[in-house]
Amino acid sequence: MGGPLRSPAGRREREVALSAAGAALLLGSVAPLASLLVQEGSAWRGALDVLTDASIFALLVRSLALSALVTALALSLGVPLGVLVARTDVAAPWPAALLHAFPMFLPPFLLALGWFHLFGAKGLLGSAATSSVFFSAAGVVLILAVAFAPVVTALVALGLESLDPSLEEAARVAARPLRVVTLILLPAAAPAWLLSAIVVFTLAFSELAVPMFLRVDVFPAAVFSRLGGLDYAPGEALGLVLPLLGLALLLLAVERRLAGARSYAVLGLRSGRLERLPLGRWRGAATLAVWAAAFLSVAPLVALAWRAASGGGFSQAGGWLGGAPWTSLSTAAIAATIIVAIGLVVGHSAARRLGGGGTLDAVSVLAFVAPAAVLGVGLIALWNRPGLRWVYGSAGILVVGYVARYAVIGVRTLGALIAQTPLHLEEAAAAAGAGFWRRLTRVLLPLHARGIGFAWLLALVFCLRDLELAVLFYPPGRQPLTVRIFTLEANGPEPVVAALALAHVAMTAVVLGAGGGLLWRRPA
Amino acid sequence: MTAAVALEGVTLAYGDRKALDEVTLSVAPGEVLALLGPSASGKTSLLRAVLGLAVPTSGTVRLGEEVATRDGCLLLRPEERGLGVVFQDLALWPHLTVEGNLGFGLAARGVPRREAVGRIAAMVRRVGLAGTERRHPGDLSGGQRQRVAIARALVLEPRAVLLDEPLASIDVDLRRDLLALLRELFAEGGTTAVHVTHDLREAVAVASCFAVMEEGRIVQQGALDDLRRAPATPFVGSLLDDLEGRMPVGEPGGEPRRVP
Repeated sequence: MGGPLRSPAGRREREVALSAAGAALLLGSVAPLASLLVQEGSAWRGALDVLTDASIFALLVRSLALSALVTALALSLGVPLGVLVARTDVAAPWPAALLHAFPMFLPPFLLALGWFHLFGAKGLLGSAATSSVFFSAAGVVLILAVAFAPVVTALVALGLESLDPSLEEAARVAARPLRVVTLILLPAAAPAWLLSAIVVFTLAFSELAVPMFLRVDVFPAAVFSRLGGLDYAPGEALGLVLPLLGLALLLLAVERRLAGARSYAVLGLRSGRLERLPLGRWRGAATLAVWAAAFLSVAPLVALAWRAASGGGFSQAGGWLGGAPWTSLSTAAIAATIIVAIGLVVGHSAARRLGGGGTLDAVSVLAFVAPAAVLGVGLIALWNRPGLRWVYGSAGILVVGYVARYAVIGVRTLGALIAQTPLHLEEAAAAAGAGFWRRLTRVLLPLHARGIGFAWLLALVFCLRDLELAVLFYPPGRQPLTVRIFTLEANGPEPVVAALALAHVAMTAVVLGAGGGLLWRRPA
Repeated sequence: MTAAVALEGVTLAYGDRKALDEVTLSVAPGEVLALLGPSASGKTSLLRAVLGLAVPTSGTVRLGEEVATRDGCLLLRPEERGLGVVFQDLALWPHLTVEGNLGFGLAARGVPRREAVGRIAAMVRRVGLAGTERRHPGDLSGGQRQRVAIARALVLEPRAVLLDEPLASIDVDLRRDLLALLRELFAEGGTTAVHVTHDLREAVAVASCFAVMEEGRIVQQGALDDLRRAPATPFVGSLLDDLEGRMPVGEPGGEPRRVP
């Protein structure tokens, strides 16, 4: 690894780039999180009060338990689906997988709205009985598990695709498909599905809108209510999130242990030809299960369309949208661009095991696994100052928040791409006299233009779907669409809210469809 | 005598490209056949067709008295064929110990636990891996990993073992040791084997019979003397040149000659 890549000129350029990327991560995530730790004594006393207040402590435990249940259920749905889609001969697996995965790019709150129009008391399939289940902790678990199962499915499928095909073939020579899957494939792909468990737990714990909509008390809602509700008390909010810092650090430690050391080693997609595992007489049932999961994922969207159409929501929606879609798209696009730039520099250093890369990779993971309430309160504590109003009072704070929370997408996807690129390509350029920037722009960028495009698209969509972070500090008059729908839900007309939700779905579908289509057409 | 492994008119195509083209080949019980050929000549495709990991578009694959594949139909699934395999990259399951790697196939084939433990212990000793039973592949040296892969194939007591260039990319001393081990193991067990290689020296060290593939076809099959007597193609000639230390015909300065 040494030699040309560590030449003084190239190293200086890389250090400058890494420092800039590090500064962005520092301002967006490390400084806000650190600012939580350097508060006045009253905040710490508030934190102690939280831990000693039985009702708040019970709320924390309840939220942790709900998140664990969501994770368990999402795994039990997503792991078998991932195996069926990626490695078996079910009929038309990829169209089913695309349908199943699409809701992963939407805020779960929109799906909850759809489920409400299906199973609420006045829903298409609703009754008093379904409504009582819907508006309960069980409802929260079911809705979030279905919403997040595609995360597990996708990571398991990718994990299986990245395994060396000969590991599976060596097992197929000796054992039946079920034994191959349970004893060889799933254990070998463990880093992928364990990582998915961390991601789902993190998303479930951060989720604010779904529990609030279903009137189930959770810890992030307690933080939110102290930042802008009837219980306005920002000092208490600070106290409430301090214990969650510990949770974030614990999740980071687990991630490092489970996946950190191997995350760059198993991401290359298999290149060999491999027959799918034959399901024999179970093929029909398995195909049915996969397609049922696909329709389950899109059922709430159908219900939203029904509600919007039946109440004239589409015709009124234009007046309610305002500038929210533009705010969403513009802030998400700027954030995604910064995320990709950070991802290239940090991902490169992490993939090549160069100094500082691993640390900044960990910082990006920490900002993602930290519950959104922690990062949000930290951003408020750091940026809500008179001298920084030009950022905090503008859409710029949304960009700062998005970059902090979703930088991990750029760092990990681009790091994985670069890890798959033979080091010799860069070393040859370095030996020819190219510095870091020239290697980055003349070798890595052209080589991975499509991958970089996909990373940008992924970051864009995750910024678009954000609600739990933006709702804590969106500037006046600059609501992203997700926040607009969330705030309207309480008092706005149902058909209009359904139509706005569908507008968000359409915006996401168009972005994914157009961006994905353009990138697929581009030569690799 | 019925062949242990037989291919009759086997064609295997990937899209428009024929990886195997009307291949006919048989391996007698207890025979070790070396399958030679340049890169992309179809050697690995032939092994995959025998293993059931690829289904030929036409032709028949027989294993003893059983028809395993006929005209595009997989009649015996890979796990029902009773074969052992050593892949070029070894394909040791990284999450299982040495014992676990050897025991996986035995458990899958319903070998009673007590018998399996005995067979694993005997095989581990036989290949010189005693003391490594609880270690994972990542904790072993390159040579030890090669031995685990060989042991994993042979502990199943397969009707035939197929080796796909298992000794490629290892150093000369280790290759010599492993060739000796393979020769001994094949002889002790009366094992039927197909050993894929592109190196005739390696082939001669373990095999009694040779088949040469080019462009998806078997161009010559027989004993080493048959190959020497009438090499069917320039490639066969070059293999023999390499074995006997001759400068190949056509090389600069090139009449055939022996190196002193």
